[in-house]
Amino acid sequence: MELPFDRVWLPYLYLYGVGGLIFFGGLFIVLKSTSFQASRPEDRRWIRVLLFGFFWYASLHGIGILAAIA
Amino acid sequence: MQESAESLSAQAMDAAAAAGSSPIFWVIVIGYFALVLGFGSYFARFNKSTSDFFFGGRRFSWWLITMSIVATGVGSHSFLKYSAKAWEHGVSGTMAYMNDWFFMPLFMFGWLPIIYFMKVRSIPEYFERRFNPLVRRLATIALLVYMLGYIGIGFATMAKTLLPIMAPHLGWDLMTITWVVAIVAGVYITFGGQTAVIFTDLLQGFILLLAGMILFVLGLNYLGGFDAFWNALPADFKLPLANYNDDPGFNFVGIFWQDAVAGSVGFLFMNQGLIMRFMACRSVNDGRKAAAFNVLFALPLSAVAVTCAGLIGRAIATTRPDILDPETVKADEVFVRVTAILSTKAGFGFFVAAVTAALMSTVDTLINAVAAVGINDVYRPYREAKGKETDDRHYLRAAMWISAGATVAGVGSAWAFNQFDSLYEAHGWFHSTLTPPLVAAIFLGIFWPRFTAKGAVATFVLGSAFIVFGRFFPGLLIAPFDHGIPMDDEAPYKYIGALYNLVACFSIGIVVSLLTRREVKDIRGLTIWTGEDARHFFKGSAPDDRPGLKLHLRWQVNPALAEGTVQVDAEALEGLAGSEGAMVYLCDRRKWLGGLRSTHAVLQGVHAHGEVVHLSPDVADAGHFLVGQEIVVEKEF
Repeated sequence: MELPFDRVWLPYLYLYGVGGLIFFGGLFIVLKSTSFQASRPEDRRWIRVLLFGFFWYASLHGIGILAAIA
Repeated sequence: MQESAESLSAQAMDAAAAAGSSPIFWVIVIGYFALVLGFGSYFARFNKSTSDFFFGGRRFSWWLITMSIVATGVGSHSFLKYSAKAWEHGVSGTMAYMNDWFFMPLFMFGWLPIIYFMKVRSIPEYFERRFNPLVRRLATIALLVYMLGYIGIGFATMAKTLLPIMAPHLGWDLMTITWVVAIVAGVYITFGGQTAVIFTDLLQGFILLLAGMILFVLGLNYLGGFDAFWNALPADFKLPLANYNDDPGFNFVGIFWQDAVAGSVGFLFMNQGLIMRFMACRSVNDGRKAAAFNVLFALPLSAVAVTCAGLIGRAIATTRPDILDPETVKADEVFVRVTAILSTKAGFGFFVAAVTAALMSTVDTLINAVAAVGINDVYRPYREAKGKETDDRHYLRAAMWISAGATVAGVGSAWAFNQFDSLYEAHGWFHSTLTPPLVAAIFLGIFWPRFTAKGAVATFVLGSAFIVFGRFFPGLLIAPFDHGIPMDDEAPYKYIGALYNLVACFSIGIVVSLLTRREVKDIRGLTIWTGEDARHFFKGSAPDDRPGLKLHLRWQVNPALAEGTVQVDAEALEGLAGSEGAMVYLCDRRKWLGGLRSTHAVLQGVHAHGEVVHLSPDVADAGHFLVGQEIVVEKEF
């Protein structure tokens, strides 16, 4: 049975679209704040971890969807 | 109260009752309870102050905190409710566990450093320091209601799970079981405090993840491998995200706003128990590691653990309806039915122990949190208002009494939650009703310096009022946010209502703040825009971020040193990149202890006695260091 687009991909786009706005909006606030100091290597590493996490979950869900419709 | 037992199907009753007839089952369950009680009595020795009792002395490593957060996050209801959702809707039943990353930047760089460096002991205390005592009182009431209700859900779930096992063999009813579980949980928390909670949760986290994984492997084996399992699921059931908006009972967009937004923020930002867990970390960096590892790796594993019974059950029902007839399975009992099919009687005992572990690990955290709020936000302010000088030992004893009282109050709220047909809906109702005002107030407080005390009060009072209005007039107030979800007249907008609640609370907070006069108040360190001030506050002087070495040194007590200080020789001071007044962390060299024997101190002067660190008596006492064991010394900042 062929599943329609709005059943398969619309939730994914919403999750990482609206969720992405929250995530990158939060990241923007962090980078503008004094809590983040670019001179601290630890802080820079945590920004990389945060970005990795976003794409990690986007990949997990994306692969899950592809496995489901394969 | 007997209705819950009677509502179980005959098959579920039989499976549970059969497990109870096995002596091995009782050995496992009683042994587990005894072990947990033993933890409480052992770790009671580490409680010498309220800081130890509530925050474990701020000494623990990230991995210990991670596992304990796993155990706290996976509640007793999780196995039942997420198995039920997976049974009804497939892999998308995991959604609530897989959407917590979006707020992580604001948590890691905003809330976590603020509470840690500003030494905020409770969420209401933050509200007083950020706003005024009235906001603190409102937050205290909301938080206590929220947590006592949550404890009640835990007890109610546990009693319902154990009822069909206990009733035929011991003749216990629902409330008797609730009391027995409450007494066991209450005893070890009352005496063991946060340290006992962390270590029992470490054990419980392993048990419940292991149980879930074993169940999944047993299920795959039963079905003939992963391919057989996967192919047995209907196509729609394999998708990791739910339908967008078709089903008013379970839709993606509603769950996004309730779980990914309101739920995640509620868990990360206003869960007093979790906040205390992060405060128990040895540093902010370890807190970040714990949070990151938990969400990135532990939560996906937990998602498999708690939903697999439902997924395996659905696959069995598709391929072998003679074994599991989908017509006879009630969603809430699929975990019990599938576990009974896949395991022996003794194995069933292990899975019951896992569900018990999940209950204990959630409830113990909450009871400890209620005690923290009770002491910090009710009893201590009361004593101070009366002008009574009180030493910390008095508060420590009071904390134990409040822990016991919270356990009893939790039993009372368990009775109330037993009235709900579905625990999932009850839990969701709780989240969506009580969290938005707190979430909005915390968020605006952290990120918007212009947010005023009047705005915070309005967020609590008017926000709650608008949430209630939304329940009475969903077609008028919530419909504009419904994303096309059909309104179910019996339970209108039960998920997407969270979006309306958040919009109402945030709007009220912003509008009232803009309409009221800008406040002149020292809020340095209490917003994300003043993070460096928070570090300064924590240390008491300017932070020193020069990197230093970790030194392995012998230790000895020097009674001449001032309280809270340590002393090293000039060479060690150089190696640490330290200076007078620098903060250091001292820890037993055995990493596997996770910081159990460790403490923080301040460097004071230098001595001329070589490779030994001199400790003031109170530092030696707080660190619980063993004579003859070297310790590791490192500068913090």
